[in-house]
Amino acid sequence: MKLKVKAINITKHFMMNNQKFDKLKRLFHLDKGDSSQKEFVAVNNVNFEVYEGETVGIVGLNGSGKSTVSNILAEIIQPTSGELIMNGKPSLIAISAGLHNNLKGIENIELKCMMHGLTKFEIEELKPAIIEFADIGDHIYQPVKNYSSGMRSRLGFAISIHINPDILIIDEALSVGDSTFANKCLLKLNEFKENGKTIFFISHSASQMKEFCDRVMWMHYGNLKAIGDADSVTNEYVEFTKWFNTLSENEKQAYKKEHLQKQFVKSTEVIKTNKLLSYFFAGLKILPVLILAILIVLGY
Amino acid sequence: MFKNIIQLFKEQYEHKDLIFRMAAFDSKSNYQSHYLGTLWQFIHPAIQIAIYWVVFGLGIRNGRPVDGVPFFIWLLAGLVPWFFIAPSIIQGANSIYQRLGLVSKMNFPVSILPSIKIVEASYQFFALVFILLIVVFGYGITPTLYTLQLIYYVFCMFFFLFSLSVLTSTISTLVRDFQTLLQSVMRVLLYLSPIIWVPSGAIAQIMKLNPLYYIIEGFRDSLLSRQWFYDDPTYFLYFWVLNLTILYFGANIHMKFRKNFMDYL
Repeated sequence: MKLKVKAINITKHFMMNNQKFDKLKRLFHLDKGDSSQKEFVAVNNVNFEVYEGETVGIVGLNGSGKSTVSNILAEIIQPTSGELIMNGKPSLIAISAGLHNNLKGIENIELKCMMHGLTKFEIEELKPAIIEFADIGDHIYQPVKNYSSGMRSRLGFAISIHINPDILIIDEALSVGDSTFANKCLLKLNEFKENGKTIFFISHSASQMKEFCDRVMWMHYGNLKAIGDADSVTNEYVEFTKWFNTLSENEKQAYKKEHLQKQFVKSTEVIKTNKLLSYFFAGLKILPVLILAILIVLGY
Repeated sequence: MFKNIIQLFKEQYEHKDLIFRMAAFDSKSNYQSHYLGTLWQFIHPAIQIAIYWVVFGLGIRNGRPVDGVPFFIWLLAGLVPWFFIAPSIIQGANSIYQRLGLVSKMNFPVSILPSIKIVEASYQFFALVFILLIVVFGYGITPTLYTLQLIYYVFCMFFFLFSLSVLTSTISTLVRDFQTLLQSVMRVLLYLSPIIWVPSGAIAQIMKLNPLYYIIEGFRDSLLSRQWFYDDPTYFLYFWVLNLTILYFGANIHMKFRKNFMDYL
């Protein structure tokens, strides 16, 4: 089987900027050696390989790094360190699927398809299929701002799924629609599977995971706790949540605190910030030329 | 050294269809909720022209002509490019930030967003230039070979706007204050460019540092057949050095930061 996605030591740190000014300091690289800066390790040293035609589920508690992983896979954010090898174009389907609020549904279809690089002819061909799949009736001619969250996700899903991506990343997008729509989507996704596409599937539904995925990754406080056969990992995760729920309120808090604390690290030089400042120094070098030019224009 | 600039132009060229289609789409949806639609693209400048003419031409200047040219024509030749430059600079700077939510969820060439805004604004500009030519020649100013220079100055203007908005759109995505600052600066710049009043002497020399001076005076040189663009070689050199410097830094900063835009939001 062909290798589709390979993640090598993927790590993502987020700045914990307490003040707006900290961001600016970072931007200009003035925070060197400032150890009071804290960073949050959202994803820590994650390794995995995914092959063509595989469907991989991602489970985990809220804030465990699932969405960060999906954003990295979709190339929306860059990992702080580590390497991601992708053979194919990824497409992310999330609840907030980047629709333009002031445009009508049908115009959103045109715009999104256009932005994905489809030609006018291709768009005209796809439009009826998308409208039919979204199945929101005459609302398609209404501005998206008037849509319910269900209609919004239906339209977003319908568009994303019709532009024929190689690698699909579905971030809890199915949880908004009703079960009839979820079924319709799962059918469509099965079609994709048969065509040998790779799918990443993020959901909280254990039954969907077992039914639909080949393998499951379990993210736990930024770490990849387990990856393997869908049934066994999902069961393990369900066991964990059951155990967690038996804890008393205090024990739960203590557990969370203990694990979250590990995710905060002091700012290190691992992160290579872009040095805006260096451009200003580079700019200073051409200053003499500019001053000369100014003098010439002024007529000296 | 020029790798990023070449990359930038390559991306524009590869997505030229997308730029024009997105620009057409945007300009269509811009005035969609208006009853008068795209007519506003002419009503709005007409009102402004009338105000500046009454206040500066009839009021302050008492209707005196500028070097034998009616003030109205002189004003019009400066205001028409200004109506294109000002919104292009402000919206071009905002273009990436405005679309980031939509664009970041897909693999989209971010560098064409400023170009889309410029192309969108240029539809109105070309319509206004057409009207300007009719009015100028209607006033009895005959077209000469000089008039052909207009093509060169329009090119200068597009090049300058593109360079500038690549730079400003990146900075204003990273630091939002920049956008607000730029809006104030543009208001001041209207008075620091030779658009509604006639500068002279030392003040004119200092104002020449403003690259918009070059473009706007160039428009007048062409329309009123005053001089060739090579008649002032130092100024020609100054404009292009400045222009290319802005492009160089814009391309470098844009390429460096665009992968991390989402982190800085």
